[in-house]
Amino acid sequence: MRRVWYIAKRNPLIFPALIIILFWLLAAVVGPSRMAFSYTAMDMDHQMTAPGMGGHFMGTDSLGRDIWSRIVFGSRSILTIALLTSLFSSLAGVVLGFTAGYFGGRIDALFLRAMDIMMAVPPLVLSMVVLGVLGNSNILTLTLIVSIAYTPATARVARGALLSCKNIEYVDAARLRGESHLYIMFREILPNTIGPIIVEVTARFAYSIMMVASLGFLGVGLQPPTPDWGMMVIENKTIIKAAPWAVLYPSLAIASLVIAISLFSDFLSKVVIRDQ
Amino acid sequence: MTFFRPFLKRLGGMAITLVAMSILIFLLVELMPGDAAQRVLGQSATPQAVAALRESMGLNDPVWVRYGRWASGMLRGDLGTSLYMRGVPIASIFWRKVGNSLVLAMLALLFYVPLSIVFGVLAGVKAGKLTDSIISFFGLATMALPEFVSGIILMTVFAVKLAWFPITSVIPIGESVWNNLDILILPALSITFVMFGYVSRMQRSSMISVMNSDYIRSAVLKGMPMRKVIFRHALKNALLPTITIIGMNMGWLFGGLIVVETLFGFPGLGSLTMSAVKTQDTPLIEVCALFITAVFVVSTAITDLLYGFLNPRIRYPGGS
Amino acid sequence: MTSKPLLDIHNLNVVYETPSGSIVAIRDLSLELRANEAMGIIGESGCGKSTLSYAILDYLPPNARRSGSIMFNGDDLLLKTEKEMQNYRGDRIAMVYQNPYSALNPSLTIGEQLDEVTRVHRGFPRTQAREESIKALKDLSLGEAEGIVRRYPHQVSGGIQQRICIAMALLCQPDIMILDEPTTALDVTTEASILDIIGELKERHRMSLIYISHDIGVVNKISDRIAVMYRGEVVELGPQEELFDHPRHPYTRALINCMPRAGVKKETTRLNTIPGYVTRRSADERGCPFASRCEKRNAVCEEIYGLREIESGHLAACDRAYADDVSEKKAAIPLVPKAKSPAGAGATGGWSGTKDSSAAADAGGFGTVGPDTATTPLIRLEKVYKYYRNRKRTVRALDGIDAKIEKHDVLGVVGESGCGKSTMGHLVAGLLAPTKGNIYFEGKDISATWQRRSGDTIRDIQLVFQNPGRSLNPSFSVEQILDRPIKKMLKIRSRRERRAMVIDLLKKVDLGEEYLSRPSTRLSGGEKQRIAVARAFVTSPRLIVCDEPTSALDVSVQASVLNLLGELQEQSHTSYLFISHDLNVVNYISDHILVMYLGRVCEYGLRDEVVNPPYHPYTEALLSSAPDVNPSHKQKPIRLEGAPPDPSARIVGCPFAGRCHKKIDDLCDTTPPPLKRLSETHYIFCHLSEDHLKGSAHL
Repeated sequence: MRRVWYIAKRNPLIFPALIIILFWLLAAVVGPSRMAFSYTAMDMDHQMTAPGMGGHFMGTDSLGRDIWSRIVFGSRSILTIALLTSLFSSLAGVVLGFTAGYFGGRIDALFLRAMDIMMAVPPLVLSMVVLGVLGNSNILTLTLIVSIAYTPATARVARGALLSCKNIEYVDAARLRGESHLYIMFREILPNTIGPIIVEVTARFAYSIMMVASLGFLGVGLQPPTPDWGMMVIENKTIIKAAPWAVLYPSLAIASLVIAISLFSDFLSKVVIRDQ
Repeated sequence: MTFFRPFLKRLGGMAITLVAMSILIFLLVELMPGDAAQRVLGQSATPQAVAALRESMGLNDPVWVRYGRWASGMLRGDLGTSLYMRGVPIASIFWRKVGNSLVLAMLALLFYVPLSIVFGVLAGVKAGKLTDSIISFFGLATMALPEFVSGIILMTVFAVKLAWFPITSVIPIGESVWNNLDILILPALSITFVMFGYVSRMQRSSMISVMNSDYIRSAVLKGMPMRKVIFRHALKNALLPTITIIGMNMGWLFGGLIVVETLFGFPGLGSLTMSAVKTQDTPLIEVCALFITAVFVVSTAITDLLYGFLNPRIRYPGGS
Repeated sequence: MTSKPLLDIHNLNVVYETPSGSIVAIRDLSLELRANEAMGIIGESGCGKSTLSYAILDYLPPNARRSGSIMFNGDDLLLKTEKEMQNYRGDRIAMVYQNPYSALNPSLTIGEQLDEVTRVHRGFPRTQAREESIKALKDLSLGEAEGIVRRYPHQVSGGIQQRICIAMALLCQPDIMILDEPTTALDVTTEASILDIIGELKERHRMSLIYISHDIGVVNKISDRIAVMYRGEVVELGPQEELFDHPRHPYTRALINCMPRAGVKKETTRLNTIPGYVTRRSADERGCPFASRCEKRNAVCEEIYGLREIESGHLAACDRAYADDVSEKKAAIPLVPKAKSPAGAGATGGWSGTKDSSAAADAGGFGTVGPDTATTPLIRLEKVYKYYRNRKRTVRALDGIDAKIEKHDVLGVVGESGCGKSTMGHLVAGLLAPTKGNIYFEGKDISATWQRRSGDTIRDIQLVFQNPGRSLNPSFSVEQILDRPIKKMLKIRSRRERRAMVIDLLKKVDLGEEYLSRPSTRLSGGEKQRIAVARAFVTSPRLIVCDEPTSALDVSVQASVLNLLGELQEQSHTSYLFISHDLNVVNYISDHILVMYLGRVCEYGLRDEVVNPPYHPYTEALLSSAPDVNPSHKQKPIRLEGAPPDPSARIVGCPFAGRCHKKIDDLCDTTPPPLKRLSETHYIFCHLSEDHLKGSAHL
């Protein structure tokens, strides 16, 4: 604990980062019920209103919808999907990567080849094509597709973490008392690789937000009228000259959240790496 | 000969990846709900007309026959015809757009490769100092931002407020991209942002690990001046992982192009892919996805080769 | 003796600022180095030996602070700027490091790395620099220097890499050469020849040396004077022979006595140990650094420290040193007799009574070669091969060996790295399966890995690994580590019963109950190895494979682990397969010794038969290369030429032929050496006649 504090003091950016993350979590959980405007309500008197006018804290878009309400409502879906995605892809990654790395040989070669093939298409392109082909995305399909697109990356991390421990003698010692493969993988090795894996989950969380926002931006994410940060940017891009706030604020929302989570992940990795 | 063997192996791997990916792409797009013939003719078409078109498009053949036909077409350079733009051969628009994207990608590379190496090395040498903290934070922030967010920020500042560059990067009809280089600056910068973060952080960490190595200690304690230690002893080794990262991310760069080109309305491979997906133009989606895969596979192979060439431990294997 | 010192270190302090407070790495250290003098510095790891050398050259991490003075030719090096220091480094003061492989830049050719030294310091043009480099390599008897300069470091062997590093240090004819454990990563035969070269170069170039090592034997060979360091201080300083004959500081005495060495055997002697371990030193600590581990401490020790002269040129930092403690002086190597050591231990063949049964079994013969034995040995290896194949080549780690381990007996296996000794251990333990051949455990075939072995076999054969830091899972506590095998292998369900057994085991290895909840990462190296030994004894196995169990430990800790292993073996009637590269250690603990070279057996016999003539030429070379603790033992060294051949090459004749100093021309290259039976228990694989095998080395 003392060391964590020591590292935190030398990386003071972690404090604003934590505040921002907490802010968005709070916004997602209790925010929607406290909004003055519904995210769909069109204020016909105030279209493309500048921030602060007519009670619109961040202004309105071309239809007179309140930007701030839409951002707060949008935080819910993006955080949910990103959180689920980072957890699912890490879980799948650990299972696949551990199995391949532990058994090695042909299983591992096959795994690596499959991962090579999966990784030959950038995850964004893969997700976009699949979602575009399926049409009508929802939280479930988004989570599923993005998780699958990210699994090769997490599996490689998990495999690497396992390989760094696999040839250490305590694994041999466990074998020589006849332990099962499952016991060795999850009781002997997993606790020693949990640090890098947790770092990977948090980093993946940031990547997932990036990805979900980008998919929304490309129009293959959640469908209107559900508010989506990425979608808000592309919807209002045509009015960027007249109402720059309509694109700038959602962009800043994405930026603040992703940077804060990245800082947190970076901080975690510093804590974890010094541990070993 | 020993030097070329891994290269030949690499070629085999490339072929396997490409074939596997082409099958996946083909199957995926075939799974698309709805009927291609119906889409071409519209909802009002008679069932007879649809059936006739199905027959003439060969849609009644088994999947593997259709795949074979498609794949052999690809190998011969026949990219097929677009569904959405009724009967327009894909090749007639595709290569021009790829060319545009290539110019954009090269410009981005020209920006971010030197920038991220210079700043990465600087941060690595000054590790723990203020210079390092600033560069590292900037790298972390830009890496985390999706391309369209940095693009919007650049756009608001340089196109809306300062009006130095156009908001959209459309090439006027009949003109080539070379006459309109100013439209490339903002899109290229958006890509540079993301890539800078990624590559400079990589460069920084490889520089730090090299600077902590025993052979750098030897060089310092031989009395080498700092300049020689960094440029002669450290850089050669610290650049190796960076080269790999840059090469591996060529595919990623092309993914980023989709977002950036959509944002700026730039007529390239990315916006073409995007519109193909939007219009459910199956043949075009297949061509675009396959091309992006090929870019990744080829650039990875080139990187491997380059890495092997630059690393004496691979160039001259074994020893006594 | 009174010449002006070349390097005069006065009251040097080095302090590290860390998150958990200041740590003193060097305290009030004063040392003089004269021209053409070799100063040896010994001490255990963490005693500040390396910090001292980096402090001289100003190469310390940013959180280190230096104070005091280091005068070199009248200039204080502490006051020099980074830029000014560049003129000293590599030019006036050069350094050679522990690991030659990582000390050379992998992406520059050897020539490029050598040339730049004279180009920077002397401003030589390219061609002249290259000539100098080649000359320096030839100086180190690297014959094909012109070829070597064009290669990359990974293309030459470890021994040659270290010679290149030394050549690099010599290029500017430095006044001082600092050698930091330069031979620790090398095999003993390579080490011996490098030490010869260093000694010779020192005389030829009239340099001063600072030679840092944890190995007293190595330091002995090279030094004129020796400084003993402990926790950042020099606790004793004196002429080499004087220091060994009359060690004055309790730490020096303890350190010398805890090393296994010639003539020290487990039947007659318990190795001396030093309780506790080296701890970090905080800024406010006072008094003698050794006080907490010293048997003779009194109240004064908490206050007084600093060197004082005892005899001319012999200094020690202990007031005990003033007392003319005659009895202690005589007993510089005290042999503490073992309480229950049976009588009759002699020079050769003097086997204690308890060994009668095994001696009888020995009469049977060697492996399957001789007639069948009356009693089956515990383990028998029969024509065992182990190949490691990959696409490029096949490495023959074991090339058809026969061996046996008797009941209640310790078989020591010795040989240099790559000789297959660890592979043999892993085959017996069941981590690997032989490619060809059979391993029998009391006549039962167990030539398979753990997956195919029965529960009984697994329980009967246990393994103690080299590095206890790696063999204990860092996320478990001591209790978890010992509890699991009890639960898994002895199938004891009751928690209370298991806890009692764990406490019992801890007691066996001299650790208290308070260790139960201790995380394994919070143990010292010696404590970790004790836990690992306790774990091996959980199932009361018949055989424990000890794979270099003390190589990762400091000498004082090594002694206590060797004592413990010896005692436990005596009490439990277990057998050991004891693998080590260190002939002194094997000599101490073993009843029988097997000498291996390149996957084959060279010699097998009772310990005293193996370490005394007649012996295999390779055994003779090993014995002659082994650093001797006692400086008065002078012997004619046997130096092996070249490196061991590529283990993937197919060898028809004797594998040792290429480096053998007694080689009989073609015969050795073309015909496998025949088995020579020198006694009922002693076998050698060699073409030479028994007379020729009687060499001059001895241990």
